[in-house]
Amino acid sequence: MHTPRCTILVLLGALSLRAQNLPEFEKRVTEFTLANGLHFIALERHDAPVVSFHTYVNAGSADDPSARTGLAHMFEHMAFKGTEAIGSKNYAEEEKALQAVELAYDRLDAELAKGSAASPERLRALEDQVRLAAAKAESYAAVNAYPRIIEENGGADLNAETGEDATEYFYSLPSNRIELWFLLESQRFRAPVLREFYKERDVVREERRMRVESNPEGKLSEMLLATAFAAHPYRQPTAGWASDIEHLRVADARAFFAKYYAPANIAIGIAGDLNPAEVRRLAEKYFAPLPARPLPPALPAAEPRQEGEKRVAVETPSQPFVGIAWKRPDQQDRDDPVFDVVATILDSGRTGLLYRELVRDRRIALSASATATFPGGKYPNLFLIWVAPSSGHTNEENERAVYGIVERLREKEVDPQTLARVKIKLRASVLHQLDNNPGMADQLAFFYVNYGDWKKLFTGLGDIDKVTAADVLRVARQYFVESGRTVAFTVAPKGGAQ
Amino acid sequence: MRARRLALSILFAVAIFAQAPADLKFPPLAPVRIPRIERFTLANGLRVFLLENHELPLVNGLALVRTGNLFDPPAKVGLATLTGMVMRTGGTRARTGDQLDEDLENIAAEVESDIAESSGEVKFSALSDNTDAVLSVFHDVLTEPEFRQERIDLAKSQLRDQIARRNDDPEAIAAREFAGLVYGKGTPYGCQIEYSTLARIQREDLVAFYKRYFFPANIMLAVYGDFSAPAMKARIEKLFGGWDYRQASVPQFPAVEDVPHPGVYLATKEDVNQTVFAVGQLGGVLRDPNAPALEIMADVLGGGFSSRLFKLVRTSLGYAYGIGAGWDAAYDHPGLFAISGSTKSATTTETLEVVRQEVERIRTSEVTAEELETAKQSSLNSFVFHFDSPHKTLSRVLRYQYYGYPEDFVFEYQKALAAVTPADVLSVAKKYLHSDAFTTVAIGNPKAFGQPLGALGAKVQPLDLTIPPPAEGGQSAR
Repeated sequence: MHTPRCTILVLLGALSLRAQNLPEFEKRVTEFTLANGLHFIALERHDAPVVSFHTYVNAGSADDPSARTGLAHMFEHMAFKGTEAIGSKNYAEEEKALQAVELAYDRLDAELAKGSAASPERLRALEDQVRLAAAKAESYAAVNAYPRIIEENGGADLNAETGEDATEYFYSLPSNRIELWFLLESQRFRAPVLREFYKERDVVREERRMRVESNPEGKLSEMLLATAFAAHPYRQPTAGWASDIEHLRVADARAFFAKYYAPANIAIGIAGDLNPAEVRRLAEKYFAPLPARPLPPALPAAEPRQEGEKRVAVETPSQPFVGIAWKRPDQQDRDDPVFDVVATILDSGRTGLLYRELVRDRRIALSASATATFPGGKYPNLFLIWVAPSSGHTNEENERAVYGIVERLREKEVDPQTLARVKIKLRASVLHQLDNNPGMADQLAFFYVNYGDWKKLFTGLGDIDKVTAADVLRVARQYFVESGRTVAFTVAPKGGAQ
Repeated sequence: MRARRLALSILFAVAIFAQAPADLKFPPLAPVRIPRIERFTLANGLRVFLLENHELPLVNGLALVRTGNLFDPPAKVGLATLTGMVMRTGGTRARTGDQLDEDLENIAAEVESDIAESSGEVKFSALSDNTDAVLSVFHDVLTEPEFRQERIDLAKSQLRDQIARRNDDPEAIAAREFAGLVYGKGTPYGCQIEYSTLARIQREDLVAFYKRYFFPANIMLAVYGDFSAPAMKARIEKLFGGWDYRQASVPQFPAVEDVPHPGVYLATKEDVNQTVFAVGQLGGVLRDPNAPALEIMADVLGGGFSSRLFKLVRTSLGYAYGIGAGWDAAYDHPGLFAISGSTKSATTTETLEVVRQEVERIRTSEVTAEELETAKQSSLNSFVFHFDSPHKTLSRVLRYQYYGYPEDFVFEYQKALAAVTPADVLSVAKKYLHSDAFTTVAIGNPKAFGQPLGALGAKVQPLDLTIPPPAEGGQSAR
């Protein structure tokens, strides 16, 4: 049998060879910024005639205005509704009809604002007007014309995602149709038409029912964040609170778009069978006309120092879950790589401490995971441990066991073999991400926006390598403290009305 | 200066505005390169497929084994699943599961085993510098797993936990109950693991199941990545050439018994405010010449943003986030045809009524030329994504071999799809969709339904989700 030390050396050899190949990789990357601030990173991979696109907008649900949570996500949905030219049978008429819808909603909202003094009769009449106005506007809409063009052209994996930090739009095309993406993407982010807004608001509300309200883990995770953060908008659910979603208006979405979709606040990753000169030419042709706009101001809210453990119970008839989270600094902090190492010590494959103790040896959990950065990394966030207890075992029992493991990290340095294994796994995980276009387009844009340089995807490994056992001990002692902790757990319903 | 720039932008903008997607001219697509797969068969019957790819210093492999949980004895449902789990976790003759965990993870390598419905697999992945180390573990897991008792106990405990949690996710409940009703809960395609079937399974059952199916002539081995094919061939001959173990050939998988369970079935779950539903029947087999027309039929009905159900139920009514239809054609047995989605409790019955109407529409009138064109163009233009990585070609070749399909099947299928007419779509919809005998499953809180499900016109039958408890004095204790 081989000795671990020997294989580690061999392995580091292989990976450092890879790191030396960064210049080789770099040769295939073209990077440029348009005059309006929009940034492009394009990676050539000519293995197959396909190309993937990833638009990374540096704004997410943390940027939702108060009482308008869910807005970033709502806008994401609206970005598939088309433009003046795409999605309308007669835009001149449609535009007038859309304005009428807004006026009808204004009148309805004004009546609703009277609260108990609102006239039920008048409300019914105003609701009818809203319905009529919406029906008229919809009569001019060519439903889902925008995504249909992508689908007909062979678009693959068409989708978008909203997170706390960012909103991302992505799909792949056969590489002969690369210009189509430039045309469609530039038009929707130049002048999107927010048609069918209120029906889509119902869809978004439905999405919340699915992801949160009918899902015990979704509920628990939402309450964990709402409890852990007092001031910072990481406390806001990405899906939005139900009543906020139900009150979103077109004007809110327009304002959000105007403020956050400035070209300089967006980066685009492209990977696949592309010609860099052609990418540059098309970027200029289609995206240069997007007017430059100022970057949105930084979020003013800073989370105050937590002074004591916070606990929240969520009643559900489902099987138990418990989430344990500690406050940690943002991704720019010098300890960021240490948290990655700690998360991997706790949770990776079958050698992670959580699996070994809770699942394998004590069998008190079905699964246990650790996440270094939750729910986003741009601002101070949480280090999260999430446990599903096994049958006959409780959240309390697992919570105590987790504290036991964490306490050991705070007592003495982790052994050299574990540290070496964790570093190798983190390095190998980067390698495994490099063999597909959608993943590369995503990574290049993500690292550029979040760390200022796509090369951080590789050079970040150097930071991981520098982490010592003393760093792990220091970080565990500094951050895994009761006063910075939030625990969210399920309990069986106790009955009674609310 | 500023104003000028602004004016310039507007001019540009107008120029773009005038350009429609339809005006773009695309050059022809570069031909796909189909990678060459090196194939050979060892004297013991092991079929080997090698595909070199040097983009990254990685090597991956897969042993595909003709077995599956379709072969579980009815009293011991879970046997194949458990065997697949413990093959790897239970360690090999030379090393315990814990030692394997350490040895593999120390070099960032993986070896994993799994047995699914109609196939079993042992996979590996490693940095190519560690090819020999990972191949040696892979060989041992495949040829001499030890099935240590403590890991059988752990796996059984995990499967029991999964049983205990199976009623927590409405989507999983709907999928399970729909399949159970359409295939029949007492059949290999519709049954599920219960505490009682799990309790009966012993170590000797796992060993016997393993011995019955894991023999060289019943396995295809594919290796992909950064190696030289001749050197890999020599390694494999050396490692597996001496594995001289024979068994009678494995029989066909059991047939699907087509006994429909038509009607509306409701599982009551009071902690949700949304109903998850599945409506449909048995699907078909991929080699059926009508499969392409059926795929288009399902695509027009509920295949994407452009489909009828998506446009109507989601975009125009705002009733659903997820709604779709799929004609699932399996390689060797009828898959499922399902229209599935979710909607707030209040609009449950209305949504199902819209679904019913749309099924009737597709069964009684032709799809429009435009709809057909959208479906065809989507499929034909995205065809290249079948070939966007060499790995996909390898896994397709393997799958076709496994199920006895011709190697050019993907091209023939595509040709047939391009030839489908609106009349074909109507004819297959009429012939294959038996909407009178559809099974409808709904998981939700009927107290909050706007209209009762009975308004759909069929008797609503309750679905009991109660999990049968472990037998008294059974062997479920750990």
